[in-house]
Amino acid sequence: MSEPRAILKAEAGPPRRTAKAVNEVAGLLRGPHRIFPLVLKIATDAARIRLQSRNLYSYSTTRRETGGALRDVARWLVNAQRPDGGFAAFYSLLRGYSESYPEVTGYIVPTLYDYAAVTGDQDAQRAAEKAASWLLSLQISSGAFPSGLHGENSYPSVFNSGQILQGLVRSYVETGRREILQRAEAAGGWLAEVQSNDGSWPGANAYQGVAHTYYSMVAWALAQLAQVSKNREHAATAGKNLDWVLAHARPSGWFDGINLRGHPTYLHFIAYVVQGVLECGILLQRRDAIAAAEKSAWMLLRRFEIAKHLPGCYAADFKAGASFTCLTGNAQMSCVWLRLFEVTRDLRYLNAALKMNEMLKQLLPVRGRRGVAGGVAGSFPAWGAYQPLRYISWGGKFLADALLLEQRLMHLVEVGACAS
Amino acid sequence: MRVVVLASSPYSETGCAMAARLAQLGQTVAGAISLPAWDRGTLLRKLAQWGWRDSWRFAWSKLAPAKRTTPAKLHNSYLRNAYFEDALRQGSKVLRNLHEVGKAYGFPLQIHADQNSPAAMAQVKLWSADVAVFTGGNILRKQLLQTPRLGVLNSHLALLPEIRGMSSPEWSLVCGVPLGVTIHQMDAGIDTGPILIRREIPHSGECGSLIDLRNRMIAFGIEMMGEAIAGLEAGAIVPARQASCARDTQYFVMHERLKSAAAGSLAQAGSAAAEKCRG
Repeated sequence: MSEPRAILKAEAGPPRRTAKAVNEVAGLLRGPHRIFPLVLKIATDAARIRLQSRNLYSYSTTRRETGGALRDVARWLVNAQRPDGGFAAFYSLLRGYSESYPEVTGYIVPTLYDYAAVTGDQDAQRAAEKAASWLLSLQISSGAFPSGLHGENSYPSVFNSGQILQGLVRSYVETGRREILQRAEAAGGWLAEVQSNDGSWPGANAYQGVAHTYYSMVAWALAQLAQVSKNREHAATAGKNLDWVLAHARPSGWFDGINLRGHPTYLHFIAYVVQGVLECGILLQRRDAIAAAEKSAWMLLRRFEIAKHLPGCYAADFKAGASFTCLTGNAQMSCVWLRLFEVTRDLRYLNAALKMNEMLKQLLPVRGRRGVAGGVAGSFPAWGAYQPLRYISWGGKFLADALLLEQRLMHLVEVGACAS
Repeated sequence: MRVVVLASSPYSETGCAMAARLAQLGQTVAGAISLPAWDRGTLLRKLAQWGWRDSWRFAWSKLAPAKRTTPAKLHNSYLRNAYFEDALRQGSKVLRNLHEVGKAYGFPLQIHADQNSPAAMAQVKLWSADVAVFTGGNILRKQLLQTPRLGVLNSHLALLPEIRGMSSPEWSLVCGVPLGVTIHQMDAGIDTGPILIRREIPHSGECGSLIDLRNRMIAFGIEMMGEAIAGLEAGAIVPARQASCARDTQYFVMHERLKSAAAGSLAQAGSAAAEKCRG
């Protein structure tokens, strides 16, 4: 996700922000070859906003083939792998690729394995294996994984440990290596150790020192670990956090407790809460969790269908005023809707996800240099508040997940329609 | 009954057929209120849906002098609803817009950029409308909905309350809900108003395509609207509140890939009907 950059954004005072801006612009001076892609991106987004009304097609028409878009996104992800094996957090139109980012590297691993399984792409599989090896090298003796970009000052992070756990669990399933399972169990054990009695994760190992409901993603990772390790304690830790998150659900479907100080509640974080609750609910067979996730997902679906887009950030009870869209959050919501279709068989979720994917595919650069072609921008337009002027690896990860799910589920629907 | 027809454009075929048919059934069409014909959004949407060629053909069929139009050449059934032929034919002439229908049946047409505008509402009042019939246009505000004595009626192309909202015939097909039309009074919600008539459409399996099905349902709805207004007038029909559903039954515009699945369901229904006939 974006915790380290969120930290930079939230905690940086004016001098640090200025230094950051100077650094970004200096990046452009160091790499003048990025000027053309930057100008092109700003010009195309400006033209698209002016000329192509958002609701012209309501995105209900296929204009770009899913398989081709998926190939482009997967290629972007593989290209974002650094020599050490980790994936860059982003490709900035100002200063190029960032350093390796442990957290997203963790949860890109399952996506690449899924892609390789569907397409037989060996590069994707090799990239996933290399990434898993790199992640193992980062683990602290306590079992935790560090926060932040690789090489930065860091602390043992609950959220990053959870996200990396997803990659380790999948890597164990794919390779059968006992060492990976043991390391994953150690991470799970540490997460249980630092969990507070109420099921949340506040304190020094949490972002901004407070508990967050979007740590439901950690609960999901623990539920995955419980499934492969058959260790019920991990399921208990996950369930305890799930109870805490569900206690923050409002009747409107909104989850309190995202608790981000200093920057808005982006759709990305809301979608994390919903996705974590839903997936954890599915694995732990908790109907209450699935119902709570469905309520939020339905609210956002209605908003998307009526307004033809989802605003990038929200106040409580889904009150929104932002004019930009957070593309990562959009892709995450597409994943949530597709999974809800799978669980409930309500075709409206599939319908909304198909339209959302159409919009995301249309915004994917077809051509361009490495780092641009197939990249998912932080915001649309590119100068929106969420990760401006960057193609972000977690955006690519979630879009690839959404497109893979779309392919699988549409195949089932089409076969089902023919067979019934 | 004094009826006002609300249409999305003076060239709306449904609006024309509704006004003509109600007049033929003996109702007094007091007037029609339409949105302007040339609206940038609609134009762009039609271009996106139909492409340049069909958009041009459609515009030509509506605007060219009557003698030079060749409606038979409008092969695509989405450009022309063949089931309106009887309603819109007057001798050898086919009525092509609300101006012509108004002239033929003696009612005025008013163009308003917003059907909820004070001027449009004042006009409805001036015409002393007993009931208004909605065939397209804006989302109507409460004030307008309450202006005609018996409210505003809508012909919804699905059975209510099961399927509300957009792409309703297609959603009925994929959700396995029988195909039908509901005439209801409009209220502030989306297709949530009291029901006058709710009826399944006969022989839907004979429809060759989704467009054909939709066209047939619109024509079926116009006939039902005539019946509903007559029933209201005679006091034989009393609007009934919709049964409440456990879950939200609002549906939205269907993606074309799901529409293919809906077309598949329709084709299967057609084969089953043909099989039954042979049997």
